[in-house]
Amino acid sequence: MKDLEQFSAQRRRVLMGMGAAGVALAGTALSCPAMAAASPAQVTEAPSSDKTEDRHDFHGKHQTGITTPRPASGMLVSFDVLASDREDLERLFRTLNERIAFLMKGGEVTQVDPKLPPVDSGILGPVVTPDNLTITVSVGESLFDERFGLASTKPKRLIRMVGFPNDALEADCCHGDLSLQFCSNTTDTNIHALRDIVKNLPDLLLVRWKQEGSVPPQAPAKPGVPAQSARNFLGFRDGSANPDSNDGKAMDAIVWVQPDSDEPAWAANGSYQAVRIIRNFVERWDRTPLQEQQSILGRVKSTGAPMGCQHETEVPDYAKDPEGKLTKLDAHIRLANPRTAETQANLILRRPFNYSNGVNKNGQLEMGLLFICYQADLQKGFITVQTRLNGEPLEEYLKPVGGGYFFTLPGVTGDKDFIGRSLLNATQPTTNA
Amino acid sequence: MKKSPLALLLTLGLLNTPFSAFAATAPLDLVGPVSDYKIYVTEQLDQLGSHTQQFTDAVKKGDLATAQKLYAPTRVYYESIEPIAELFSDLDASIDSRVDDHEKGVKADDFTGFHRIEYTLFSEKSTKDLGALADKLNNDVKDLQTRVAGLTFPPEKVVGGAAALLEEVAATKISGEEDRYSHTDLYDFQGNIDGAKKIVDLFRPQIEQQDKAFVAKVDKNFAAVNKILAKYKTKDGGFETYDKVKEADRKALVGPVNTLAEDLSTLRGKLGLN
Repeated sequence: MKDLEQFSAQRRRVLMGMGAAGVALAGTALSCPAMAAASPAQVTEAPSSDKTEDRHDFHGKHQTGITTPRPASGMLVSFDVLASDREDLERLFRTLNERIAFLMKGGEVTQVDPKLPPVDSGILGPVVTPDNLTITVSVGESLFDERFGLASTKPKRLIRMVGFPNDALEADCCHGDLSLQFCSNTTDTNIHALRDIVKNLPDLLLVRWKQEGSVPPQAPAKPGVPAQSARNFLGFRDGSANPDSNDGKAMDAIVWVQPDSDEPAWAANGSYQAVRIIRNFVERWDRTPLQEQQSILGRVKSTGAPMGCQHETEVPDYAKDPEGKLTKLDAHIRLANPRTAETQANLILRRPFNYSNGVNKNGQLEMGLLFICYQADLQKGFITVQTRLNGEPLEEYLKPVGGGYFFTLPGVTGDKDFIGRSLLNATQPTTNA
Repeated sequence: MKKSPLALLLTLGLLNTPFSAFAATAPLDLVGPVSDYKIYVTEQLDQLGSHTQQFTDAVKKGDLATAQKLYAPTRVYYESIEPIAELFSDLDASIDSRVDDHEKGVKADDFTGFHRIEYTLFSEKSTKDLGALADKLNNDVKDLQTRVAGLTFPPEKVVGGAAALLEEVAATKISGEEDRYSHTDLYDFQGNIDGAKKIVDLFRPQIEQQDKAFVAKVDKNFAAVNKILAKYKTKDGGFETYDKVKEADRKALVGPVNTLAEDLSTLRGKLGLN
């Protein structure tokens, strides 16, 4: 504050001392402000980031954007596939593959005759920076209808999302043939990637709905202290009890479809993606007593610790609290994850983003959670967990309005492979790369 | 300017890149199609003029049924030559602005033209208080005819018009929001498509010289759109209302429309026009 005052006082002095020559000089400075030596930061100076070159390898057994850390910016886009036959569907997957590989790696944009529209939107400049981008491709139940002859290879648990009792699903933000989850350090990087894909696939993809979200960055963890989860728009830390995504065995059990499962062979190393746009009634929530908020969630708001605990990472011992004196029996975290031997089968990997969409007709804020989770078994995972949550006290403050279920395709193993190849091959002898 | 060495190199690299991938079409080769296009526009405007006269006569006579019937077939002539009409932004606003263009909606004083009349005819099911609006529309259309007659058609606007018409379709026709009271969007849809196809047809030899496969692809997508539109033609030569369009057909229109919009956006460049 003091620095600011000094600065403006200095400016005032300079301005007031200026005569005609001063004005002329100011004019020169204005025409090329960057020339001014050691000038203080300009209003329009861009925030700097040393992470624009961060990149994930597109190739791998699994797709990225699932167990890779969730960056600050996320976007889920659902599409209708406009392809009319398998040939077109293959062209769709091959083009997606090529665009995603480029966008995640980055590089120079092809320049064309300036009499033509540029091939790239230019949002990231002439050299595309990956900026930690991942694009995760998943397919919806409707892709397995009569259009492409894929019905016989549909993942066993893939269904069209059915509304839960508290849902008020809006038709224009539900379901879809294909979903793309974009995650990167900045909204602009996600938007650049989406516009690239839209421009390159005008005859094959139609955007059905889209939801963007964010994760607030946390201060760097102190040595010896576990990193803290980001907060959602209810003000609570979200993700505290998420399984350890660095634990390969746990991920195999919870997230990835295994080769020896009862799923079609092509689906191995894929995952089920459940997406939910969950509106939060934030005004009402903010008018709710703290102790009630905490008992509804089952956590201490300030620390994120379970009730009666000190740290977010502590595990509540519900066996010692059978009547729900400490953590209510219908508290959100207790219903979602009762932490019993049997409910271990219902674990899911959550990857949510906070969203904010403007204002509704009553002048209330349209915001909430873009909930995304991954699991090897949709039925045992999200559907079971959400069914346990049906009727929870938190419902008074939530209204799921959109989303859908998708199957996240297995990873692209190398240059000879492309996204969706195993799916296409499952109903057709061979599709060469 | 703060520039990284990489960015500088890139700029220099750019400067060395031969930009003119397409040989500019000889200006003389464009004279024929451009003047043919002017004849087409003039004919369309003549039709617009006489149909608007009949339409506004019916409105002023209070003949609601006839006015409703003439609304869509009259507008279609405007829709087919919209890129030229839009060169006169004042007239375009007074003839063809939509309710969304006005903060005060239907009550806005400057909301005039086809869609304002459409509102009363189809939403209020009345011709009440439309006299002045009908006269204004008739006069605006006559004014447009006069102004277009005196206009030298810039080739880049003519060629660019094909893309502009497809942008119209992509932005307002797919959703059925253009004619929201009468639901006669398919007339406009066809008008836009026909107007764009006309431009492609007039410049066909010049475009084919540059890129034969391109023309084939564009033709294929025009045919795809026309095939779906034809499904909704009625016996009297008109169209079903937009709410009758099946969801599957609406989706099937999107791919060819968006692809045409992408492809036709390169048309000016292909002909070497700035």
